Amino acid sequence: MKKLCTILILLMMLISISSIAIADDEAGEDNQEEQDQGNLDSETEVEIEVMSNPLGAEIRLLQLQKALLKNILKGEMVVDVLEDLGFDNDNITELRDILTKMKELNDTIDDLLDEGMEELSSNESAQIFVENKTLAKNLTKQFREKLIETLNEMELNQLRQRIKDLVDEQLESLAKYIQNRIRQFNRNQLYRLYGLIGDADNPYIAEYLSGEITLGQAKLQINKIINNMTKEKRFLIFSEIKEENLKKKINAEAFIDQMHGKGKGKGKKGLI
Amino acid sequence: MNKKIISIIYLLIIMVSITLSYIYFSQQETDKNQYDSSGKTVNDTDLENEIDNMFLEEDDEIEIGEIV
Repeated sequence: MKKLCTILILLMMLISISSIAIADDEAGEDNQEEQDQGNLDSETEVEIEVMSNPLGAEIRLLQLQKALLKNILKGEMVVDVLEDLGFDNDNITELRDILTKMKELNDTIDDLLDEGMEELSSNESAQIFVENKTLAKNLTKQFREKLIETLNEMELNQLRQRIKDLVDEQLESLAKYIQNRIRQFNRNQLYRLYGLIGDADNPYIAEYLSGEITLGQAKLQINKIINNMTKEKRFLIFSEIKEENLKKKINAEAFIDQMHGKGKGKGKKGLI
Repeated sequence: MNKKIISIIYLLIIMVSITLSYIYFSQQETDKNQYDSSGKTVNDTDLENEIDNMFLEEDDEIEIGEIV
């Protein structure tokens, strides 16, 4: 009888431990899946949320172009320095080839920006952005790895110091242009928000666009106005904003699902 | 003796069910957006976060990695 009792207890313990293990495993798989997706898209997912808006899509492409140009300029300086120092020609040729591909990618982005993003659906814009960003990352990685094969850590550090500030100066006008486009985007959002509040002619909108006040100040002002509203009105505005933000998120997630092959049949154009 | 075995089995079953339901509900809780609309009250932080999400930061940059 005692034996039977022990066996029973052991059996139950085994069942309970295995069920916990299975549950843990499932949770782990979910996390792993999220992480895998995250590796691909943790930053990109946030970045593409704004791409359902043509101006948002244009801003993301401009930001990508700026990052790419920064690396092209740095790469060219590096190659010039290597040539001056008399490094092996084969290595320099390979680095130059990578830079040529980066310049071609920059031309592609230029063409896209010239054509405008208005005609594209949010999914098409996001697709273009993700593909070009992945290509830019890969080319950057290829260049860096080739450089690491060529130079030692001390030489690399010296190079980094030499080119650090030069590039930022050269990209100043593009940075300024992007800032203006972001201001325009935020100005549109402020207009929508003030419209919800019922004060679309608020002078803060124009003041933000002209740079008289910062985005933080404009947001603070909106928060103050909303906080002084009735509970019901506050809730209404909150719901509107939340709905808008959720739509952006759903669009981005639908696109990512489509990329991962899960969302077949959900439609090619944006869901919302 | 039999009673003891039965009570141990019952205890184990309860423990297993508690563990499984805890895992099930805790997972649901994390997936679910925790905003509660039943009372129609809006938390200040929630509102600020939603407003923040509407805008783009002016110094926002795309990361593609360092070339050097």
